[in-house]
Amino acid sequence: MRVLRVPCTGRIDYMMVLKALHKGADGVIVSGCHPNDCHYTSGNYHARRRWMVFKKMMEVMGVDMRRITFSWVSAAEGARWAQLVNEVTDQVRALGPYTEFRQVIGAGIE
Amino acid sequence: MSRIGVFTCHCGENIGATVDCVKVAEMCKDIPGVVHSVEYKYMCSDPGQRQMQEAIKEHKLDGVVVAACSPRMHEPTFRRAAGDAGINPYMCEMANLREHCSWVHEKGEATTQKAADLIRVLVEKVKHNEPLHPIKVPVTRTAMVIGGGVGGIQVALDIANGGHKVVLVEKSPSIGGHMSQLSETFPTLDCSQCILTPRMVEAAQHPNITLMTYSEVEKVDGFIGNFKVTVRKKARKLDEHLCTGCGLCIQKCPNKKISDEFNEGLGTRTAIYVPFPQAVPNKPVIDTLNCTYYKTGKCKVCEKMCPTNAIRFDQEDELVTLDIGAIVLATGFKLMKTDAFPEYGYGKHKDIIDGMQFERLASASGPTSGVMKRPSDGRSPETVVFIACSGSRDRAKGVPYCSKICCMYTAKHAMLYKHKVHSGKAYVFYMDIRAAGKDYDEFVRRAIEEDEVKYIRGRVSKIYEEDGKLIVMGADTLMGGEPVVIKADMVVLATAVQSNDRSEELAQTLHVSYDSYGFFAEAHPKLRPVETNTAGIFLAGACQAPRDIPETVAQASGAAAKVVGLFSNEELTREPIVAVVNRQAAPVYSTCVGCFICQGACPYQAIEQEEIMARSGEVIMTLARINPGLCQGCGTCVATCRTKAIDLQGFSNEQLYAELMTL
Amino acid sequence: MEAVIQRAKELLEQGEVKAVLGYAKGTGSARRPHFARQAGQLDKLVMDEACVQNLAVYVTKHEVKKLGKVAVVALPVTQRAILQLMAERQLRDGSLAILAVDDGAVKELDSASALEEHLALKAQVLNAKDKASLADLEAMDQGQRWAYWQKELSRCMKCYACRNTCPMCYCDHCTMDCNRPQWVPVASHGIGNLEYHMVRTMHLAGRCVECGDCGRACPVGIPVHLLTIGAEETVHELFGQRAGHKAKLDYALSTFKTDDKESFIR
Repeated sequence: MRVLRVPCTGRIDYMMVLKALHKGADGVIVSGCHPNDCHYTSGNYHARRRWMVFKKMMEVMGVDMRRITFSWVSAAEGARWAQLVNEVTDQVRALGPYTEFRQVIGAGIE
Repeated sequence: MSRIGVFTCHCGENIGATVDCVKVAEMCKDIPGVVHSVEYKYMCSDPGQRQMQEAIKEHKLDGVVVAACSPRMHEPTFRRAAGDAGINPYMCEMANLREHCSWVHEKGEATTQKAADLIRVLVEKVKHNEPLHPIKVPVTRTAMVIGGGVGGIQVALDIANGGHKVVLVEKSPSIGGHMSQLSETFPTLDCSQCILTPRMVEAAQHPNITLMTYSEVEKVDGFIGNFKVTVRKKARKLDEHLCTGCGLCIQKCPNKKISDEFNEGLGTRTAIYVPFPQAVPNKPVIDTLNCTYYKTGKCKVCEKMCPTNAIRFDQEDELVTLDIGAIVLATGFKLMKTDAFPEYGYGKHKDIIDGMQFERLASASGPTSGVMKRPSDGRSPETVVFIACSGSRDRAKGVPYCSKICCMYTAKHAMLYKHKVHSGKAYVFYMDIRAAGKDYDEFVRRAIEEDEVKYIRGRVSKIYEEDGKLIVMGADTLMGGEPVVIKADMVVLATAVQSNDRSEELAQTLHVSYDSYGFFAEAHPKLRPVETNTAGIFLAGACQAPRDIPETVAQASGAAAKVVGLFSNEELTREPIVAVVNRQAAPVYSTCVGCFICQGACPYQAIEQEEIMARSGEVIMTLARINPGLCQGCGTCVATCRTKAIDLQGFSNEQLYAELMTL
Repeated sequence: MEAVIQRAKELLEQGEVKAVLGYAKGTGSARRPHFARQAGQLDKLVMDEACVQNLAVYVTKHEVKKLGKVAVVALPVTQRAILQLMAERQLRDGSLAILAVDDGAVKELDSASALEEHLALKAQVLNAKDKASLADLEAMDQGQRWAYWQKELSRCMKCYACRNTCPMCYCDHCTMDCNRPQWVPVASHGIGNLEYHMVRTMHLAGRCVECGDCGRACPVGIPVHLLTIGAEETVHELFGQRAGHKAKLDYALSTFKTDDKESFIR
């Protein structure tokens, strides 16, 4: 797993998730502070709406959403974070490489 | 072409034990743009930092990646060091090899490879870093202290004595907090009121302190040095300036049977009341829920009696907005109620009371004037059982933590009881005796040895009533778990210390973190105990964790020192991690299309309109502009902007794209 | 139709508008947009079932804005687009005379508030064909949907006709043209096409007026309108907000409620 640092979930452009998949990631975790607990007041509320719409769009497109996990984990929840990462990595390993998406990455490039 | 230096830290064994740092440093030499790569045992140490600074000069580095611990820990350290060596501090980034790699993986080739990969990502980021310059903002040198207990009073006095203005906000009608309810204090047994009331008066009379009692914080905007705090001044229903505090209204109020909060329900008060005779300010409030006039529309006895015509039945709550530079939270705690204990009768036995109720029974200013009388029938209790850890260290009650003060106050209670009822018997059921503190263990020993309090190590499983006695069924674990049955006249539960009512709501209003029990979270458990993770907001006392008086006061002075230190600056420098809307040459001006969708997304109202005008004065277009003084750098606007016209300095699109494409 | 032409003529002759934007006969049975700048050019205007294009796409163009006040023959979708454009500050309130043609009747609306009032009278209903297509998509499993879109998108050549015909894609500098960084690859290969349509969908979720012009504009017949209309419907289901119904910006993705309900965030 590789971690990319952003100040707030509000900063997370869905393009970042798409680029992670583009670079061959088999799973993505998008995580930040709990609602009501945003270090930046309300960035995560905006992020939540964005994810709700993004998730649906991805589903309509036929993306395998088992590969994208959204979570609220606060800075005080080290154990929870470790558990989540373990669960997600186990799940993604079980799913194996995201070949469907990888085929698209190569498609049409001569 | 970039000239980047990579500095890999072993962090002693923390990274070195699982990551082959020497190999990592060697691998990093091959990353395009890296001209220097070394490793060292402790990069954060003085020789480590010096090594980095010398390399910056010697190799003419224009960017630095320190591969070590979390940037939360040492980013400021290394940025400062880089700045001192002559490059812009924001050209320095950290790769987190500790939390993101060495601590979570086993020793091995893959771990070392991952460490190198993490560095590669940050090297690509640094290639897109821009020199940034700190933003200067002015400081409003007025502090707000929320909570007027002993902690809040101490903070206010210390800041005020340091020469700065303080607004002390207290939700109840008087300052004083829980300490004003206490009888005597451990381990000296000096009278609580006698040491506190002079401080209360001092706070009220201090020229630098403004008291706002019967008031609550409603809204907090802004940031360190520049908060805007809206306080709700609840209507006392009287004109404070006219009221002289003569107390005639209280004497004449016909409604005298209201349960008295200050006496923890053991006494009664009137509908117009001051919580206690030594209240500061000594101005009554009308309890509109219980006042006959508000209930029936008739009475107004207090209005007729008042010699200065101060009563104002139509007074409304008032909202006051204040400019504040720093905030200290000192909102204290509450005790778990006796009704949380089904095994002890859900609080339905009048003679099972909590620690604070015992304080009122023992207090000379209490409902019994300090004479030991049990609540049910007023008889002097001949046998009293004290149960420590009532709720505390009990997962089933949701309180796994130690409430810290109960061992000491239970010893004090038993002692006070024995001093008042010489023939009485006092038993204490306990789990462990935690009496760490100056003169604390001696105090407990005194209770056991001099005052002959019987300490029984064990829990009480059940209490029930029989013939006017409370049958306490316990066990003595030092006697092999032998059952113990005591027929008691009164039982005192040392109930758990909990975070105060609505503390989570307040934390959310102030944007400070809190733990799962509602206690406010300190910025670092060891090194920053009085700061929160929100700059400019500090903590004192039991709002952070259970605390006794000496600790609260010490922490209060610590928080005050932080505020006074902050106020010693003319202006503050803020991190330039702010959003910027791009500007280009005419005729494009910007890729912003002026839809102002970003305005709705900004949590700080930092997005303004800027009109681009032709020489003729005609407005060509209206573009978004971000006020760097208000922007806090969350980046929500950046992700919302369709044309990518907004970017976040320090976490720019180019930086994040470069990082992603290196994954 | 007579009534519309009559009113347009009056407006143009009295100098209240500089031009009238409506529909004229195109190739075959198709209808094309028609700008009448003189009364004599009004005769070409037609109004029938075949007039489907959302004319709002033209009113944000610099060339049209420069003309001054313009009268627009406006279908409900055009009305919604104009209102949304006003809320997004791309059109000045009062800069258009909107000749609303709903069910044959003509109503003249010349302000955002009048539009808002008018649009509130009738519920927005998705046409049966699109509704059925969306239901078909919904009924597929994940793998089938992936295969469906991959097959459809394989024909995309990124001509951007869908973007250019969309009244809400008014940005002078589209994300697709942003090359620092180049978030979406320029080429029309697998990932370039997929990401383009994902981004287009996200940009229109909560802003799409459901005219379907993007799908009609596609020269290779990809039903791209199902993506944006589907996303708009999602936004409406989730948050109760709809594009093109409020004079004041009411965009679901720049607002929030603290109790927004979802069940997938862990």
